[in-house]
Amino acid sequence: MKEKKGLHFLKRRGIIETIGISTVVIIWQLVASFIVKKTYLLPSPYEVFFAFYTVREVILVDIYISLLHFGIGLGVGTAVGITLGALMGGFKLVDRAMDPIMEILRAIPPIAWIPFAIIWLKLTHYSAGFVVFVGAIFPILINTYTGFKSVDKIYIDAAKVLGCKKGMSLIKSVVLPYSLPYIAAGTRIGMGIGWMCVVAAEMFGASGRVGLGWRLWNRFYALHMMDKLVAYMIIIGLIALLLDRIFRYLVEERTLKWRKGMVAV
Amino acid sequence: MNHKLELRNVTKTFNTEEGEMEALEGISLVVKPNEFLCIIGPSGCGKTTLLRLVAGLDQPSSGEIILDGKEVIGPSPDRGMVFQEFSLFPWRTVLKNVEFGLEIKGMKDKARRELAEKYIELVGLKGFENCYPYELSGGMKQRVAIARALATEPAILLMDEPFGSVDAQTRNILQEELLEIWKRTKKTVLFVTHSVDEAVYLADRVAVMSARPGCLIKCLDIDIPRPRKRTSVEVNEFREQLLMLLSLERSKACISV
Repeated sequence: MKEKKGLHFLKRRGIIETIGISTVVIIWQLVASFIVKKTYLLPSPYEVFFAFYTVREVILVDIYISLLHFGIGLGVGTAVGITLGALMGGFKLVDRAMDPIMEILRAIPPIAWIPFAIIWLKLTHYSAGFVVFVGAIFPILINTYTGFKSVDKIYIDAAKVLGCKKGMSLIKSVVLPYSLPYIAAGTRIGMGIGWMCVVAAEMFGASGRVGLGWRLWNRFYALHMMDKLVAYMIIIGLIALLLDRIFRYLVEERTLKWRKGMVAV
Repeated sequence: MNHKLELRNVTKTFNTEEGEMEALEGISLVVKPNEFLCIIGPSGCGKTTLLRLVAGLDQPSSGEIILDGKEVIGPSPDRGMVFQEFSLFPWRTVLKNVEFGLEIKGMKDKARRELAEKYIELVGLKGFENCYPYELSGGMKQRVAIARALATEPAILLMDEPFGSVDAQTRNILQEELLEIWKRTKKTVLFVTHSVDEAVYLADRVAVMSARPGCLIKCLDIDIPRPRKRTSVEVNEFREQLLMLLSLERSKACISV
């Protein structure tokens, strides 16, 4: 009993997690310092930490630019994805006409669009944004479509009896709120894919000499500054994590309260 | 005017993969104002179909349905409906569910809220306004559904086995409450059920339907004063009559299948 009491502080939130991360960092440091011993093969956490300091000025600009690309692509992708998904979910004719072309387009990796992004939109922010758009739109579209398709008939009947005439008022009052969790889930997946696309498009220089991806590939990799490269990798991962958390906080926990009883979100 | 609702020779045929299926055959029925009419029949006889026609959710293949002198052509809030399945919008709180029909009508915030609160109180759910449907029991959900149907102040209340999915004790309580609400709001109620006990306890009149294709075979006036005792001799006599009619219909249904 006494021993258990002694270890009780471990149950506090964050303690175990901190131990987990620290262990990985320590092992990484030991392997880098005593086994690999070559910075360009495996920079140590210590070196990466200082790399953050040396890149502190450019990194803020790069983050800003990459988020801009991401925002452009996700914004347009969400608007177009929800609209097309709603049209396909709402009208059988649109569904049948668009389904095959969507299936083909969806199968093309977004990165394969980089050449056209550059040719069509030149080396602008819109060019990387376009690649993000291609990456983000399909999960949003498909989830919106699924949401629209799976509305229980009973809710439609109930709304009609309460005075909802066909069309817009049914969509606004029943179909859209019902589909919101689907759309939110699709957007979350789209955000993840979109962020990958930002890095890839920038690596190819789709938007010129800017962004996290561009610098990671064309500066740090090209000059074999692997410590800085790892610093950028960590930042890219942390931003993805942060974006996901912010989205979950804003959308899932606030507006989708009612779903708690139905499924574990 | 002694006709609240009139059905004139209503038929309904569904097109299925095996061809045409006749669900309802020549239904004629008059419901008086403020009457509580139960429709009872063997399962699959088209009770729900009949109610959906009156609600305007489906169109009759022939015949007409007339409410307050006007032909029914589509769904409208002047016919409130309570469904057998739980039909509350899960993304809306109790209050917002009851307000739904009033919102569609374009009623102002304050008036809407007052009216909704009045009906929530009527069904005994004061204090639950901000709960979501998943937080409510089956019986409570159906009470909200009743409040929601009443909030638009319909001319008639259509109920499709509303207490079918709640336990027997809750059902008894809900039946008593429904009678109380009926007494207070003076609504005309058309109530579909498969339960003989429920029909005899609730109704002024019970219409018995035949097996498919459904038609009306008998109307019984339940002239027992309220409050009724579920186990009294008169109630049992009516139950026996109805049970006999139904078992006859069931055996017919078996032969035709």
